[in-house]
Amino acid sequence: MVQSAKPVPPIWCPGCGDFGVLAAVKKAAAELRIPTHELVLVGGIGCSGSIHNFLEINGIHALHGRLLAQAVGVKLANPSLTVVAAGGDGDGYAIGMGHFMHAFKKNASILYIVMNNETYGLTKGQASPTSQIGFEGNVEPPFHSILTALSIPAPNFIARTFSGDPKTMIAILSEALRFNREGRGFAFVEDLSPCVTYNDTYKLWREKVLDVSTLEGYDPTDRKAMFRLCLETTESGRIPIGVMHRPKVSGRNGLEVKLVGEGPGPVRTDIELAPNLPAYQKLLSGLA
Amino acid sequence: MSPAAAQITPLPEQSGPGAPRPPLELSDVSVMIGGQGGDGTLTVSDLLGRYFRKKGLYVYTSRNVLSRIRGGHADASVRASRDPLAAVKSHVDVLVAFDNEAVEMGKTELAPHGFILYDSTTFHIAEPHSAGFPFATLVGGPLGQPIFKNTAAYGALSVLFGFDPALTRAVIEERFKRRGGEALEKNLKALEIGRKVALSAPGVENRFSLTSGDAHDMILTTGNQAVALGFVVGGGRFFAGYPITPATEVMEYLQQYLPAFGGVVRQAEDELAAINMVIGASYAGARVMTSTSGPGLSLMTEGIGHASTAEIPVVIADCQRVGPSTGQPTRHEQSDLSHLANLGHGEYPRFILAPADPVDCFDLTVEALNLAERWRLPVILLLDQALCQNTTTSARFDLSKVRIDRGKRLSPEVTAKLAHYKVYEHSSDGRSAYAPPGTPGVWSEVTGNEHDEWGHVSVNPANRIKMMTKRMEKMVHARSELPSCRLFGPPDAKVGIIGFGSTSGPILEAQGLLQHRGVPTRYLQARTVYPVPVHEIDPFLNSVDVVYVVEHNYTGQLARLLRETMPWHHAKLRSVVKYDGFTFRAPEIVSAMKEGA
Repeated sequence: MVQSAKPVPPIWCPGCGDFGVLAAVKKAAAELRIPTHELVLVGGIGCSGSIHNFLEINGIHALHGRLLAQAVGVKLANPSLTVVAAGGDGDGYAIGMGHFMHAFKKNASILYIVMNNETYGLTKGQASPTSQIGFEGNVEPPFHSILTALSIPAPNFIARTFSGDPKTMIAILSEALRFNREGRGFAFVEDLSPCVTYNDTYKLWREKVLDVSTLEGYDPTDRKAMFRLCLETTESGRIPIGVMHRPKVSGRNGLEVKLVGEGPGPVRTDIELAPNLPAYQKLLSGLA
Repeated sequence: MSPAAAQITPLPEQSGPGAPRPPLELSDVSVMIGGQGGDGTLTVSDLLGRYFRKKGLYVYTSRNVLSRIRGGHADASVRASRDPLAAVKSHVDVLVAFDNEAVEMGKTELAPHGFILYDSTTFHIAEPHSAGFPFATLVGGPLGQPIFKNTAAYGALSVLFGFDPALTRAVIEERFKRRGGEALEKNLKALEIGRKVALSAPGVENRFSLTSGDAHDMILTTGNQAVALGFVVGGGRFFAGYPITPATEVMEYLQQYLPAFGGVVRQAEDELAAINMVIGASYAGARVMTSTSGPGLSLMTEGIGHASTAEIPVVIADCQRVGPSTGQPTRHEQSDLSHLANLGHGEYPRFILAPADPVDCFDLTVEALNLAERWRLPVILLLDQALCQNTTTSARFDLSKVRIDRGKRLSPEVTAKLAHYKVYEHSSDGRSAYAPPGTPGVWSEVTGNEHDEWGHVSVNPANRIKMMTKRMEKMVHARSELPSCRLFGPPDAKVGIIGFGSTSGPILEAQGLLQHRGVPTRYLQARTVYPVPVHEIDPFLNSVDVVYVVEHNYTGQLARLLRETMPWHHAKLRSVVKYDGFTFRAPEIVSAMKEGA
């Protein structure tokens, strides 16, 4: 066995919601029997973005907010890899918002996990895009990632989990990874992951979360119905969790499928001169 | 406007072409075609270029367009010569004008023997040595649309230059055959209309005659096309970019070429995404590139620093335009050099290569891909608008020189035999072996945080020093591998010139003019501009008494970089700069050197 980088102990505070995500990622990957050398985890910047350091796995510690662009690059270059991007709400919804919106549209078959704690924990508790009005002087209404995700008409998998409910989280992450590995497209899972130090919301969220699958009219293939359910649940003061969108179409819709098809992809294509020479000669002979 | 304006002798007070005269024979001709955007000036330039090439001449075309889709003044210039060239001529021999503005703008650049051919449909000028024909009206009737006026103007030009009629027609056939029957037929008719009306006017036919040349089996191409082809042939298989003038064609060519080779081209949502997508793809093991211009480069700066620190190979083609901010998107400048040499916050290695012509663009793009993977860092191709977009007669690209060097890339077989795999393992030259994800039994942890050999974040001061040294000294260890400069002119010349990029074209021409005046010069074309190749430039500076550093920016950025690196040569260095958005013309360099002497 070749010795590669060993996982380091997590830097998170005891009780941090991110531990739940770490455990669930491990379990889901094991359940799906994904070989560790074929798994790439792209972390953002912030407490949650360091998650790849705690696993025996290929890891990129990306720039703040840019993890999705890097993850899409990895997947398009080598579609046989399983690619997970993971970061926080500041990383994804503030500095990374442009890439976040486009990730749904691009629809590469990667999983994006946002560990939402409604604060910037690593820089000691400033308001984030998802902070409630009043938190640390915040006067802006919180950003709603699920409603935003549902508003983009692309065949993505969309779900929200809660670190206080690890069992559901494992099931949802497994489903999301299967969705990716079947080349069906982008999977977005927001995990409600309390920051025990700067915004301890465990108790509050435990009271407020509402599994949308228990509601009348729940149909994750019906975008319109799910938008209404989520909006109404939110407006009633509860926090909707569960699978929010599971596309009707079952085909391989991933961006990498559209671009690479059944070919080996940029990484596995032979780039040596000799095998390509006749084609290169033809290309250059077209110049006049 | 060009200083060439001062050289124009007063014109006699008469208008019209004047009496028939023997043809003026030219071995170097410049034609400028001006009008409103949408008048088809580029088509006339293209047709002329094709004709000149069929005559074995070297061709250089440039365009002056505004950053808008239609309308506004636009002009295109074609220069053709028996000798190799890559610069705009000091004056215009023939001006073709579709409106009065084109006359006003173009006549200041007209040679004393110059001639104006214009479309007199809507205006008339009282210039001597001119001929106006109502091209739009002449074609509008029989062909139904005035848009064929440009082809009619080409017809009139063919009379003015005494072109071979069959060859003139062949050019139209070649240009329009793909557009199908009706377009071809109408353009052929427009050609005849233009020829006929020009033949009927006194003093137009055979006004000029052009020598033939021997530039055969050459291609007419741009730097952008050459970079795209170099990328394909150099094994590049992943490209992400964002549309920006004057870099967009690199992406467009690759969208055309790359899929056939199993490659992927993505248009990203912005330059931040573009650079990060190529970083991701490179980490995965693909050969990658992005292309951009100033404003996009500013956004990519974040990612380039990350790539260098995380030791992820990337190639960035910077097609420089006028800056700062949005600047002048369609105009020429070389003002990103200082930014690139000092790119980003913190300190990190990067190589900056500066090709001068299409062949150089092709070769150095292949080289940039090799260097990026060998040294696992960002390599920047420093291009400029004229190099990227002007077309030049160029030798065919040489595949026999191409080699693919992926550096210390680990195969699964070799990896399996290792005791350990450290992604940032120390070595004598700073290069670490790399096994891309998917290699059985190992994984790669990369980060833009300071890290140890395993890729774990580290704040250990001893490790910090070791890692900084590992990365920074790549610029020392790689020195002998970086593309060498090129020298032109007699080795014993005491007057030196240094330049980079497309400025080489006018500099080489200026050398000829100076030689003619008895001033031999030696020109050093810098092909690696960072790290500064002191081992090449220091001996060059020692060999001459004075050096003119010719570049397109305000502050003399290359000269500053040379002074900073070799302060002992401070007194020898003189700056010749131009920053009006247009490229140097050879006489401008000569007179600036004279003033600086």
